[in-house]
Amino acid sequence: MMKILRKKIKGQEEMVGFALIIILVAIIFLVFLSVYVKKPQSENIDNPEANSFVQSFLQYTTTCEQDSENITIQRLISKCQERIPCSNKDPCIILNNTIKSIINESWKVGPTSYVKGYSLIINVGDKQFLNVTKGVVTNNYKIGQQDIPNPKEESTLVLFYAYT
Amino acid sequence: MVNKSAQMKNKKIFQLPNKKNGQGMKSKISPASPFAKKAQMKIQQMSFMLIAVFLFFALVGMIIITVKFSGLKQDATDLRDRNAMLLASKLANSPEFSCGEVYGNQKTDCIDEDKVMALKENIGKYENVGKNTNFWGVSNIEIRRIYPKYENITCTPVNYPKCDTIILIDKPISGFDHSNFVALCRKEKYKDEVVNKCEMARVILWYEEVK
Repeated sequence: MMKILRKKIKGQEEMVGFALIIILVAIIFLVFLSVYVKKPQSENIDNPEANSFVQSFLQYTTTCEQDSENITIQRLISKCQERIPCSNKDPCIILNNTIKSIINESWKVGPTSYVKGYSLIINVGDKQFLNVTKGVVTNNYKIGQQDIPNPKEESTLVLFYAYT
Repeated sequence: MVNKSAQMKNKKIFQLPNKKNGQGMKSKISPASPFAKKAQMKIQQMSFMLIAVFLFFALVGMIIITVKFSGLKQDATDLRDRNAMLLASKLANSPEFSCGEVYGNQKTDCIDEDKVMALKENIGKYENVGKNTNFWGVSNIEIRRIYPKYENITCTPVNYPKCDTIILIDKPISGFDHSNFVALCRKEKYKDEVVNKCEMARVILWYEEVK
């Protein structure tokens, strides 16, 4: 009788030991898993292609005329803010149309293409001045930005997101 | 007699070393006893458990290493693409291509189209310089206007500037390419005045396939 009892107690001890090992291993595995899941999949940092795009398109010569010279998009943004017409044309309409045409030709958006969508945002100070968005907005994106300082007014920030 | 000699041998196996005189010490537990058998079983159980735990950790470790290495490969590809794009920008900002201060302030990612057309005529001077095929170490350089477009015409001194693509090196294009956006600027006559005109373009660098 005593022998059977002793054997039972021994068996229980071993089972507890085994369970403890399994719990320990499970905890270690969970720690590894949580560390891996917490790590961001991809960091969306400034991309040279998106940055070059922003730099280049700001230098584009528009159809807006001032002092017998066509001005760049960079200057047209401030003109649109100040609502100064260019040769009887609305600078904001020219700005909007030019930006849309340039982006459409530069970034081919579609479900089968690498770029699924894009957003061009122009912020003046804390306020959003212009937002051109097309296609699907995803969590993976290339970002390009340029800050245009303005000594008279609030500085302008041009942001471009290419969603992949 | 046989049994006795066998018992003696077993006893020798279970002799523990004596630190003082180097002679063995007789074990109190006989190998034939049920305690010894139980201990052997325990050792066996423990060894199996250790092997199982070791295999489990090895498996988990292998999975983690695989996952980490797959990410590393993607990082390497991203870095290579990033460097290639930066090289395209670096080329656009080199003295042979850059706008400098001709179009106002110093601009980045700006290519002087007039300068590039002049360079195209003298590209022979840049051949066989350095280790690679030419000065820039690429097989070809192409500048393609993307906005506005002129029916995909290749630029020559005759049709310039109403053309789209400037191919710098007159060789068949092969291998792989990397490209980046640039502003393509030139001087233009407008109402009897010389004005600046900048358009959107892509600078494309072609590399030979490594065999």
